Amino acid sequence: MTYVRKDAATLTGTEKRRFVNALLEVKRRGEYDEFVRMHIAYNAADGERGLRAAHMTPSFLPWHRRLLLDLENALRRVDSSVTIPYWDWTRDRTTTSAPWTADLMGGNGRRSDRQVTTGPFAHREGNWPIRVGVTDEGFLTRDLGRRSDPIDLPTKSDLDWALKDPAYDVSPWDSTVARGFRNKLEGWGPGRGRASWRNHNRVHRWVGGAMLGAAAVNDPVFWLHHAFVDLQWHRWQRRHRRAAYLPAAPPARDDAQHGRVVARHEKLPPWDVTPGELEDVGRIYRYA
Amino acid sequence: MIISRRGAPVGAGGGTPDAAPPGPADRTRRDLARGLRACALAALAPALAAFRPAHPRPGTGFDVTHGGRRIRGVRTSGSGAFEDGRWHVTVDGRPLHLMRRADGTWLSMVDHYCSYPTPLEAARAAVDVLGPGVRLRAAQAADRHEGGMHDVRA
Repeated sequence: MTYVRKDAATLTGTEKRRFVNALLEVKRRGEYDEFVRMHIAYNAADGERGLRAAHMTPSFLPWHRRLLLDLENALRRVDSSVTIPYWDWTRDRTTTSAPWTADLMGGNGRRSDRQVTTGPFAHREGNWPIRVGVTDEGFLTRDLGRRSDPIDLPTKSDLDWALKDPAYDVSPWDSTVARGFRNKLEGWGPGRGRASWRNHNRVHRWVGGAMLGAAAVNDPVFWLHHAFVDLQWHRWQRRHRRAAYLPAAPPARDDAQHGRVVARHEKLPPWDVTPGELEDVGRIYRYA
Repeated sequence: MIISRRGAPVGAGGGTPDAAPPGPADRTRRDLARGLRACALAALAPALAAFRPAHPRPGTGFDVTHGGRRIRGVRTSGSGAFEDGRWHVTVDGRPLHLMRRADGTWLSMVDHYCSYPTPLEAARAAVDVLGPGVRLRAAQAADRHEGGMHDVRA
């Protein structure tokens, strides 16, 4: 039976409590840190050799969709009523709005060391030790809005700019493409200035702390952010009904991207699934 | 650098009419200035770096103190399209894994959603977001599943 992913701002107190408790239990079981490790491991960038499955690549969307499904399955093994809520950062735009409340994600990090001290993931609660990461901090960190040099979250018009692009992605399928829904949503700009972090990337930067690095999964808001990104893929599909994931076929042998991106019917590492098989998940879940 | 009224470097978007994202009216001139300072004042970095005494042989390495941290980078030679050089960068002696974008800019495992014109600027940006007293982990987590390299080739 399909389940529903809800807007975090609309969850009832019970729904929030059950989601948080499931996260804490998945963490306690040691399963959560495997998700952190996996996201760190899939850090390949497009100026290097090798296959890119997760970032700067067409499969950015299906890779994260599948990651979310795996986490959601782990949560639902703990509590079958739980689904991943999404954070609509075009609406909930302040450091005290949803999802930054004490009954969900907790609030901003404190100024001195950016340590999150409120909510269920605060270090002093003892339930959210940071064991896997790029730095040796043992606690969750945030710097919402980047206090030293404030930035804004992306707006609805920023998202719309991505959604109206009729092409899923375009060659050379990397972070340099100026067209295509995927990169406009992922958010790699021309490399300098504010244009270099848009939509998805800009939200990571706005949250700051753990969310800024390759170990972003350490902040549970990662899932709420990526559920909203995933919802955009669904919205884009509804807006461009005849469009599909690209590339449809692997780049040719003489193409510089040969062997470096995942085509529609190729296996998406590390799973035994293709981007094409992840395009329609309407039988698994839907968004409210 | 020539700046358009919207704040994007002129010509930076690849020339298509909608290559630049919308500039909502609520974004002020101050936001613009901040944004430009942020990810990359860095546009000026290569020129500025040439004047830094701590940058002895431009392009071969660096050894600087930034924010109280010692940043060292060594470039070694390589061969082939992706191997005209490789960088080993450390912050206070701990390796900082850098990645290269197809446009030639750099990002790090610490500051992963933004890129900078040089390895040194990427390392400085990483230092800027390290909390007080925080160090890089001795081994930056898991093995790489993609690419299969631990050093980045430039």
